[in-house]
Amino acid sequence: MEKTEKNKLRQINCPSGYSWANLKAELRAIWEGNVKAWKIDFAYPVSFIRQLISPVVFMLPYLLYGLVLIGGRYSENLASLVGTGDAVAFIFTGYIMMGFIGTAVWAMGFSMRREQWFGTLEAIYVTPASRLGQVLGMAVHSTIHQGMGTLMQFLFIYFTFGLTMNISGILPALGIFALMMFALYGFGIVIAALSLILKEGWIVSDSFYSVMSILSPVAYPLTVLPTLAQQASAIFPTTPALIGMRTFLITDYVPEVVGNVFLHLVILCGVWILFGVFIFHITDKYVRKKGMLKKF
Amino acid sequence: MTQTVYENSSLQSNLFVVWSEFKKNMKFLTAYPVIFVFWAVFPIFWFIPFILQGQAFVGGLESPSFGLVAGTEEYIPFIVIGAILNSYVNTLLYGVGESIRREVLQGTLDYVFAAPTNKVFVLIGKAISESVSSTIFATSQLALSVVLFGLDLTLGVVLPVFFIVILLIMGLYGLSLVLAAVSLMYKQSHDVSETIGYVFYVFSPVRYPIESLPSWAQVVGKLIPLTYALIIVRGIMLIGTPLSEMYFEVLMLLIIDAFLIFAGFYMFNWMEDKTKRSGTISHF
Repeated sequence: MEKTEKNKLRQINCPSGYSWANLKAELRAIWEGNVKAWKIDFAYPVSFIRQLISPVVFMLPYLLYGLVLIGGRYSENLASLVGTGDAVAFIFTGYIMMGFIGTAVWAMGFSMRREQWFGTLEAIYVTPASRLGQVLGMAVHSTIHQGMGTLMQFLFIYFTFGLTMNISGILPALGIFALMMFALYGFGIVIAALSLILKEGWIVSDSFYSVMSILSPVAYPLTVLPTLAQQASAIFPTTPALIGMRTFLITDYVPEVVGNVFLHLVILCGVWILFGVFIFHITDKYVRKKGMLKKF
Repeated sequence: MTQTVYENSSLQSNLFVVWSEFKKNMKFLTAYPVIFVFWAVFPIFWFIPFILQGQAFVGGLESPSFGLVAGTEEYIPFIVIGAILNSYVNTLLYGVGESIRREVLQGTLDYVFAAPTNKVFVLIGKAISESVSSTIFATSQLALSVVLFGLDLTLGVVLPVFFIVILLIMGLYGLSLVLAAVSLMYKQSHDVSETIGYVFYVFSPVRYPIESLPSWAQVVGKLIPLTYALIIVRGIMLIGTPLSEMYFEVLMLLIIDAFLIFAGFYMFNWMEDKTKRSGTISHF
């Protein structure tokens, strides 16, 4: 009798399955992952400030190089390609995406690996919560963090060069941005899964980041790329998102590829998220079965 | 009767330390062939967007307005040379600057410090191995750039360019010694390395001519060894200026090198002494 009472005291009610209570618990786990990442950030204020200004630092070479190339702000050739010759607006609207590619590839992709470095991955693995929560918690944190970096970029560009944008296009542009982020989350989950198997996963992350930054029309229109590269770029959400956002935000912009960017992004969202979750579950099972969690 | 290294002359012993440290680091490098291939090839992908941006903005391979400021209208070789020389900054600053931190993380710093040798020679060994690996990577990137972007490279320019690269490496050694000293005392030198990397990236003519910066930023840029190395190497390779005509830039590079090396040795010895006294060597 006494033994049963003791067991009852130790029993913890964990919601499970497809229930509202479980969803709430998982969302809480994601939120706590986000809070933990912010606490680590604020523990190193110098590093936090450096990361906040780094989006401006990395955007500057694209801007200055572009301005020197054309000897001003207006490029005739760019205007012939996409209808608008304003190099500053074109680079700014493109470069803000680079940081969000980093969100998926580096922050989410390395969330599990980071726990391994801290020595806390096993502890996270034995908690009665989805392992994906850890990755998604980091996704929330890094999206907000990158959002702050983007605000810094905007303020810098606005006060240094001045920026003319179509205000009425902000709402649909944000819709496109949200769709792109969901698709990038799926992509980030794939990288996180790969980092569980490939212990030197930074090479995978860096390779994906480099390829995406070349194939996405960040600092140049898609038409500059060879045809095969243009077709390959359609699998990354940044390509339709950049074209769509520029269409809404930059006056006179003529999209280099005709098509429904919303539909394209919805399809990419579904495909990348399903593919990401599928790969993550397979990898998760595999590393536990092989006992690879502790391996460096 | 076996002769240990400590029975040898001081110079021989120190050279043995440098050689051992060099061998150790080269073993680390060759133990991960994927990482080796990555650094030899992938940095090219980081400057391809700038080449494509150039084609989109000017519609060709030459830009007259770029030529007015840079001295050459061909922006592709300008970008390629900037990126390859900047790769030395990346590897030497982060590699040597954080090597002490890496020993802490690997749990081997205490043993290195307990060894009866001057620690500066340990760092020299690390720096030489980083320079050799950087040069292998830079050569590979240069060879790929010749094939992919038609970069014109003649044997006549190789020797003076190599001389300037050695001068650049000397300055970066000094700076990385300062970073290693910071790492000894304050453990997290990563942010300092990153911030210095930012300063180099923005204020040096890596992607654009220094003349395109505001005048105050040009003053900052002229305190950086990479600025002079880039001006000289581009002058030799792109404009065809003889090295003797760029004696001022060479002299400036030598002065900055001397200052950085002196500051590096002084700071490292000072910080080493300080950490030994405070007993914080193995602290994380």
